[in-house]
Amino acid sequence: MTATRTIVFSPDQLAEVRRLQGLYPDKRGALLPVLHMAQDAFDYVSLEVQEYVAGLFDMAPSHVHEVVTFYTLYFQQPKGRHVVAVCHNLSCYLAGSREILAHVKQRLGIGVGETTDDGRVTLQSVECLCACEAAPMMQVDDRYELNLTPEKVDRILGELR
Amino acid sequence: MPKLTIDGKEIEVEAGTNLIEAARRLGIEVPHYCYHPGLSIAGQCRLCMVDIEKTPRPSIACNTQAADGMVVHTDTERVRDTRRSIMEFHLINHPLDCPVCDQAGECWLQIYYMKHGLYDPRMTDEKVHKPKAVPLGPHVMLDAERCILCSRCVRFCDEITGTGELGIFHRGDHSEIGLFPGRDLVNNYSGNVVDICPVGALTDRDFRFQVRVWYLDAARSICTGCARGCNIDVHVNRRRPHHAEGKRVARLKPRFNADVNAWWLCDVGRYHYDFVDAPTRLTAPVRRNNAGTAEIAWDEAVSGVAEALRRYSPDQVGVLASPRMANEDLLALRRVLEARAMRQVAYDVPPPALAEGDDFLLRSDRAPNRRGAELIGLGGDTGGLMASARAGRLKCLWVFHHDLLASGWPAADVRQALDRVETLIFTGTNANAISERAQWVLPAAAWVEREGTFTNFEGRVQRFRSAVEPLGQALPEWDLLGRIVAALGGTPAGGRAELWFRELVRTVPAFAGLSYQAIGDHGQLIPGATSAGAPTPPGRRVKVHG
Repeated sequence: MTATRTIVFSPDQLAEVRRLQGLYPDKRGALLPVLHMAQDAFDYVSLEVQEYVAGLFDMAPSHVHEVVTFYTLYFQQPKGRHVVAVCHNLSCYLAGSREILAHVKQRLGIGVGETTDDGRVTLQSVECLCACEAAPMMQVDDRYELNLTPEKVDRILGELR
Repeated sequence: MPKLTIDGKEIEVEAGTNLIEAARRLGIEVPHYCYHPGLSIAGQCRLCMVDIEKTPRPSIACNTQAADGMVVHTDTERVRDTRRSIMEFHLINHPLDCPVCDQAGECWLQIYYMKHGLYDPRMTDEKVHKPKAVPLGPHVMLDAERCILCSRCVRFCDEITGTGELGIFHRGDHSEIGLFPGRDLVNNYSGNVVDICPVGALTDRDFRFQVRVWYLDAARSICTGCARGCNIDVHVNRRRPHHAEGKRVARLKPRFNADVNAWWLCDVGRYHYDFVDAPTRLTAPVRRNNAGTAEIAWDEAVSGVAEALRRYSPDQVGVLASPRMANEDLLALRRVLEARAMRQVAYDVPPPALAEGDDFLLRSDRAPNRRGAELIGLGGDTGGLMASARAGRLKCLWVFHHDLLASGWPAADVRQALDRVETLIFTGTNANAISERAQWVLPAAAWVEREGTFTNFEGRVQRFRSAVEPLGQALPEWDLLGRIVAALGGTPAGGRAELWFRELVRTVPAFAGLSYQAIGDHGQLIPGATSAGAPTPPGRRVKVHG
């Protein structure tokens, strides 16, 4: 997490923005992938990043803000090095996700939407991630962790650095 | 052109007309929130459902174009049932705070619920709470809980002003309209989002809690904020004066005119009426001399001013007319000048700073009737007139409305001119530095207190009507000038503004052929004038398809 960083894409990243914009009949179609690029490049999509991206699309910042607030995978605050997203939807709930989430909170010492003091993990509670057959489950960064038990959660969290 | 049947009545409409507009032409109202004829179609509120024969389900009328042979029903049991269900959704999280909501009485949630409501609500869940009383900018207040997310205001800022301040953030039942954090709704047309908001989500900070809308009366009028002459309704509160501490004009609202302003009104014009009820209003004729300052009766003022005009030779009298005066007033003033063969008249006083126009409705010329003053022949050499006053060649100066000491002229020059004039006469609505030192003050009725016409920059003559009585003894200028014409031995055109207009039409060729009747509610161009129509908004519609 850099405290201050100039919000500008590199020439390579700008070329990628232009390539993505060229893929759609209206360049606004590339807004989602470009926001992901921005999140990767600048850690999170701050208001400043949203205004920068709006400029790349000739859009009003308010309309980029609409998109950022609509989706849960864009972070408007600094996030941890890892993101743990526990499913709280029906199948997982019936299979004990409430206990799993409580356990995760207790192990990390944080609530939903919070980040550990060491900047290691951000915790989320999310809707269905389409793995009901292996409920309860959670997503850790880009990885699905299935058929969770408290012991399995301890092992997974223990491996996050 | 497609011919279709709506509720058993046949109608032929231009290709591309949607079913809401087609029905409107038959006098059938299809309830709707998000559709607005000046904006793109969003299909967001779902209220305008109608039954179309050979279509399995009700369809939204806003996004369905009339087609040949189409048979539409707007009031079947299924349609009514659909509306009830849709409104049930709209009201799930609505706070139902009508008793403290400014929109009450002109709220489309109320109006349609009376007709189509499900009077036995089924919701038992806690309502979702959202931000309330959030100032969005200098003029607009947001209550996100009252919002039904029709997106009219968002589309207005995208498509009309092109400023894009507003958006719909978050999703599902947490969706709410708002601004990009840290920004304000500051564009020259922000007040319009209040007009088009069908519910109480966006209210006018100026009008907020001033008066209940059902106590308002309205008069058709013309905005005096600039030379465009946008069509407006003046809303006045005469029935509950204690609601707004005696402020009679409650608000100005745009009135549709396809050739001038379409549905819109800029903020400069919308809030340009404070002077009408200001404590500075002049309410009685005043005579000021060595003995002191006295309020006098009109008869005395009229004979006094006539006598003063007679006392001097015509070339010793200068008149500074105003482009804020109506056509009728300007003609009456011309008659006064003619009665004494006075020639030193002008209306163009330089403003302290040049006002700026914008890329839509607002003109840099902030006076409503410069064109009229010019056509009626009151244009002259203002600078020369002031120079002769400074040189002591003018003994009498008659100023209409202008505060010369707050003009573009150096104050020292103006003071010198005023010092050398023996008799200073002032006519206007409000006190200013000139009225404070004038020997004769003739109080004029404000435009909302009388009838008349303005000629806009394109040469469109438009009528404004009386919304309230003049304050105190103030008179329309045509009236007080007519009395002076009579005192000078002339014959005034008559005791109604229309009679002066008829004389204008008869005697000033530029106005030939016009009449109050023909001007009607949408104005009439003077002979030879052409109109470009309402300007194209600077914003753009974002094409969703193709």
